[in-house]
Amino acid sequence: MVKLAGALLVMAAGTLIGFAQAARYAARPRQIRELIHALKRLETEISYGQTPLPEALARVGGALAEPLRRMFLRAAARMAERRETTAEACWTEAVETVWPDTAMRAGDKEALLRLGASLGLSDRADQLKHVRLAMVHLEAEETAAREEQRKYEKMCRSLGVLGAALVVILMV
Amino acid sequence: MRLAQLYEWLPEALCGVLDRLPGPVKEQMEEIRVRQDRPLEVVYGAESSFVTPEGAVTDDPTSAWRPDRGLCRALLERITRHSLYAVEEELRSGFITVSGGHRIGMAGRVVLENGSVRRLRDIAGFNVRIARERIGCSAPVMPAIVDPAARTIRHTLIVSPPQQGKTTLLRDIVRAVSAGDWRHPAAAGWRGRKVGVVDERSEIAACENGVPTFDLGPRCDVLDACPKAEGMMMLIRSMSPEVIAVDEIGRPEDAAALREALHAGVRVVATAHASGIDDVLSRPVLRELVAEGLFRVYVILSRTGGRVTHRVVTAEEALCGRPGRQAVRSGAAPRDAPLVPAARPAAGSGVRVPLAEADAVRQIPARGGKHG
Repeated sequence: MVKLAGALLVMAAGTLIGFAQAARYAARPRQIRELIHALKRLETEISYGQTPLPEALARVGGALAEPLRRMFLRAAARMAERRETTAEACWTEAVETVWPDTAMRAGDKEALLRLGASLGLSDRADQLKHVRLAMVHLEAEETAAREEQRKYEKMCRSLGVLGAALVVILMV
Repeated sequence: MRLAQLYEWLPEALCGVLDRLPGPVKEQMEEIRVRQDRPLEVVYGAESSFVTPEGAVTDDPTSAWRPDRGLCRALLERITRHSLYAVEEELRSGFITVSGGHRIGMAGRVVLENGSVRRLRDIAGFNVRIARERIGCSAPVMPAIVDPAARTIRHTLIVSPPQQGKTTLLRDIVRAVSAGDWRHPAAAGWRGRKVGVVDERSEIAACENGVPTFDLGPRCDVLDACPKAEGMMMLIRSMSPEVIAVDEIGRPEDAAALREALHAGVRVVATAHASGIDDVLSRPVLRELVAEGLFRVYVILSRTGGRVTHRVVTAEEALCGRPGRQAVRSGAAPRDAPLVPAARPAAGSGVRVPLAEADAVRQIPARGGKHG
């Protein structure tokens, strides 16, 4: 009886781990896509609205889902505070803080940080170039992420279940 | 209060040094000059000094505090709200006005495009001009510029070199006219007039989200950040002002708009950079306007020892003995002006405008110019 309960627990845990891992593979391309949409909106705010960065980021962030929403709003709040010295510092801080909660990888982060380094520091045409560059970079990452998702999502799920089954068999 | 507002725009290191300045200096401070890797300078009263890291004033540049590159960049980021792209137009004209009406001028390397200035880069010099509100500073001038016959003010041009308080005086005249604070014996019981302000540099009203932060009286409409010539026409078309106030005229299109305002029956108060009537007459656009007799009164500001003094010159005196003198006409009167033709100033007859000038603080006349 106790053995059965233990086996069930191991099975459940293994399956959950597998599904969680698979969910990360599924979430990454989705978040990258959302980030690209967000940058597109930022592009519009910069080129047509000429909205100052704190407001632009807040406006873009308001329309996003968590955790990206938190990242944009945090950067906007820090810039509006006028305590932090540069836009880059505010942006980097926000990205670093929220990053562990996202499913994205180092390559995606690098694109964002590089964008942050030039954010607000040049005229409109140049800003748009930087935003577009980050978008292109993210699009490439997105393709890779989708490929990974296709390859590994199902595998993770089955691996979780099968791994758990193996442990149960060994224990019996 | 306004100074505290300004501090929000400055990096902490700079605020720290300024905070340690002696009280009297802080109170009279007019300009803060930040130059990268060079001594910090403050201008107060009639003096200017460098500032040591401890916040003492000194004349010795070597012991002064020197803002570094990081501080200049932080300052620039703050005053542009981290968004250079949003202030391209301001960068082209070389200054940004922050909340509170403080104007921050910038100098750096100019980027050209097709031969015209596109923007500034490598900005390494800042001049923070602190806006001051001096309610009541127009009191000595008002009696001289009131037009008792038309129950409003005359077309007035305020003239002075930079930094003598033109804008401050203009601001208070706007307040006085719009609040009906005429300071003239004949004006008891007159109400204020509707005033339209074209605030190209956001200095007169220091609008925040369209609402003036300076006291401009209850009957004042402000077109914020609008080019002067266009703004005057817009106001006349849309806001039916009785008096229009503009800062720093001098371009040909300004003159055209001023003439238009005159024919629309609107009184104009304007300012111009010049050290005196002779200087005014040597500036092509202004000379034309003077010769046409558009302005009825000139207020000339000068500052000695931290005190602003002014003298009032009438159009006739300004033109007196000068070539190109023509018939001078007074602007159309507002529609509620009393219909007493005899009381109107005798236009062009060389007779001085009565009453008002008698009690004005004057030194006059400006004939036989200093400059030759």
